[in-house]
Amino acid sequence: MELPVESGDAMNDLLPEGFRPRTGSIEAWNAAYARVEDYLRAHRIHSRLHQSRLIQAILEHAAKRHERNPSLDPTTLAAVETEAWMDRWFGAVFAGCDVPGERLAATGRVALLLTNGATKWPYSFLDTGEIPEEFARTMRESSITAGPNMAVSNMVPRPIDLGVITGAAGETLERMERWPVLKTCALWIFFAAVFAGIFLFTR
Amino acid sequence: MTITPHELNAPRKIARRRRVFFTLVFMITGAATWLMADLFWRFDGRLTPLECAMLVLFVILFAQIALGFVTALTGFVISIRGGDRRQIANTIAPGESPQLAGTAVVMPVFNEDVSRVFEGLRVVFRSLQETGRLEHFDFFILSDSNQPNQLVQEEVAWVELCKQVGGFGKIFYRKRRQQINKKAGNVADFLRRWGRKYRYMVVLDADSIMSGDALVKLVAMMEKNPGVGIIQTAPRLVNGETLYARLQQFANRLYSPLFLAGLNFWQQDTGNYWGHNAVIRVQPFIEHCGLPELPGHEPFGGRILSHDFVEAALMRKAGWQVWLAGDIEGTYEEGPPTLIDSAKRDRRWCQGNMQHSWLLLAKGFRPVNRLHLLMGVMAYVSSPLWLLFMMLGTVYAFGVANSHGRAVGESFAGALATHGDASVFGMPMQATEALTLFLLTMVMLFASKFMSVFLTLKNRDAAESFGGRKNLVASTLLEVALSVFLAPVNMLFHSKFVVYTLLGKGVSWVTQKRGGDDGTDWREAIITHAPHIAFGLAWGALAFYIRPVFFWWLSPVLAGMVFSIPISIGLGKLRFGRAAAEAGLILTPEETRPPYELRRLRLNLEECYKQMRPLDVLRADYGLLQAVLDPYVNAVHVSMLRQKETSSEEAREYFAHLRDRLLLDGPGALAQKEKMSLLHDAESMIWLHRELWRRPARDLAEWWRLAVRQYNVLTTTPVTALYR
Repeated sequence: MELPVESGDAMNDLLPEGFRPRTGSIEAWNAAYARVEDYLRAHRIHSRLHQSRLIQAILEHAAKRHERNPSLDPTTLAAVETEAWMDRWFGAVFAGCDVPGERLAATGRVALLLTNGATKWPYSFLDTGEIPEEFARTMRESSITAGPNMAVSNMVPRPIDLGVITGAAGETLERMERWPVLKTCALWIFFAAVFAGIFLFTR
Repeated sequence: MTITPHELNAPRKIARRRRVFFTLVFMITGAATWLMADLFWRFDGRLTPLECAMLVLFVILFAQIALGFVTALTGFVISIRGGDRRQIANTIAPGESPQLAGTAVVMPVFNEDVSRVFEGLRVVFRSLQETGRLEHFDFFILSDSNQPNQLVQEEVAWVELCKQVGGFGKIFYRKRRQQINKKAGNVADFLRRWGRKYRYMVVLDADSIMSGDALVKLVAMMEKNPGVGIIQTAPRLVNGETLYARLQQFANRLYSPLFLAGLNFWQQDTGNYWGHNAVIRVQPFIEHCGLPELPGHEPFGGRILSHDFVEAALMRKAGWQVWLAGDIEGTYEEGPPTLIDSAKRDRRWCQGNMQHSWLLLAKGFRPVNRLHLLMGVMAYVSSPLWLLFMMLGTVYAFGVANSHGRAVGESFAGALATHGDASVFGMPMQATEALTLFLLTMVMLFASKFMSVFLTLKNRDAAESFGGRKNLVASTLLEVALSVFLAPVNMLFHSKFVVYTLLGKGVSWVTQKRGGDDGTDWREAIITHAPHIAFGLAWGALAFYIRPVFFWWLSPVLAGMVFSIPISIGLGKLRFGRAAAEAGLILTPEETRPPYELRRLRLNLEECYKQMRPLDVLRADYGLLQAVLDPYVNAVHVSMLRQKETSSEEAREYFAHLRDRLLLDGPGALAQKEKMSLLHDAESMIWLHRELWRRPARDLAEWWRLAVRQYNVLTTTPVTALYR
């Protein structure tokens, strides 16, 4: 479900006065509130103060869009706003870096995780103010490398000469594998011989 | 006691050692064979076909026992004389700090306990850091895990470990999409990608621990001895908690020094590779150890499963030495906790070792390598041969009973008193010779144990590390008694594995239902051991019918089979293992004086397992849950997936369908393979994360609604000690 995202200018009015959604039920907006809160908490934004500022701002923007299109669910609108907010914030941090658009959020979150950004700079993540230079620099410098640069070698199976006897046995086995009936017969002949031997000995 | 690399490589001295060793084995086997043949001959003045068959089996089996005995005896003599100068470790002088070179520490993993793997690696990393030589080492976790939970947990655990120890660029994680050729293929894949960057690699198992000192020493030895291709350490079994695991580690710790000294005596530069806790020179390994397929199909043919012995033989064939460094401290591994777990491992090893039969006559292999391969085969094939020998003994006893009448040998003591006869497997024989043969066999079997105890008792400090002299003796007697009970059960297990391998069949196992984590449950034990009991009862009844005295001779073997269920369950109990430890029994030096690395590992794991576990209903797919729901886990996961080229319309439709099903019906609606497909598709993972958080609750499966509600309440980390 792709929804258009509003421009980033709206980020400037974070704390609207007397915000009340004019459309949508209170249950729907409470659900939207809970969803945004959960999502921010999943980002380890543990500062209630910072959380509530962000939630209110996000919901305010979602509410404005809901007024224009009340058929949309407030939860969806709030989630879309949150993503847009994050994309803009990560975009600002990684401005000038070669990060593909579809990977921007993933790259940003990894950087945030590696720098412990949400904990170290508790009020900066998603804030509309200026991003602390150290925070932005650490984010840009962090990366995960799953492996070093490759230094490719050619390791190929080397044939082993099994010797005449084993080689012949191998060929026989492979032949028998092509003839499963023969294998089964050989097995039964072996069992029969064992029983016959025991029978004869015990007479 | 140092030795130069040049002195170490002295072919004439090595040949002399082998001559002495194998002459002893030959003499003992020859004497025992002569006694046995003579007994058969004296009975009725000829050798019947049955007696010939028994004699052939006897020679094969006794030679194996003699080989073990002489190895232990040699080790005993060396230990009494203060140690062997000709050891690879002695090429490094005390206090010498040789140059090191680029070394990769590789740990192949396959659906292992993630906490254990990464905490183990943390301990190894830290220990190496403390040596101040960390800059020469890189770490690789080479994952072949194919379970969604494992995959996600491993990724997150790796990132967190790197974060905590500053390991980015030092500790790497590689997940293989196609698990071709199991562990050997996993390591070969690593070598193809990165092998050229390193001069050495140290291969660890998922349960291995090596101290930094041990790693540094191994690499130093390689640098000092440029003709050496592999140095294998002798890992000690540790961290056992059940009675079974503690018995195994006690036996390993007490008896193995003798065997290791004896092995090194005759192996010298043609040692073996056991697949882990060893250092390998990478370039020759790449050049010579690419493994071909064997004739026929698995399980007996096809891909080589137990690659290690073969790789050692190939290295040696190419002219590179392989040494055993049994005296290196700080190298550990863990054993299976129960008898049935041990059997499951033996099943794999059996199949792998049986395949080595193909290579016994391979051109260019050294005789000692052939012997290693043969010993591997015999480790399992000897079980059906023992069983056959004893069954033939039963048939023989039946024949003897018929020919002599039931009165003969009714009582062993009576027979000795009235006829001057003894009875071996129910057969009346000349008492002196029969008893000599019997006692010789017993000495061969148990002498190594008592030599080890003797050496340990001689050294007060060593005895204290096993819990003191009295406890050491009591523990040994307990171990001997229980090993007598276990031997017949293992004989039946191994016989079954050998026969099934030859028939090209797999062995089915019961899925275990654990009550907590306290060992084997009754259902599993009953289903697994019922055939052993039936076999023991039938054999016992037959033996009693033939002759009561024959039954009593067989009773130690029969008892192990008949009581296999309580034995198996009892040995698997944590509380019995702990009770034995509290009573000061079957203690090992690693328990009484735990080294730093093991102490640290234990503490770390205790922290890990304290973490709150996910709700039952979420647990089965918790990895997938995190990869979709958690913004960080999702981001880490996505960033580790390759940027995909444009996929086909068909593929896009397939993924779109899977994604919708996952969100609407929950993970229970998807097969494991489908979950893995989604996890490997970056586009899908990005979409799922976004969509999950966007959709109103009514458009999500109940499972996801619960997941979203619970996720932040629970610990937000996987079950590892990553957030300390």
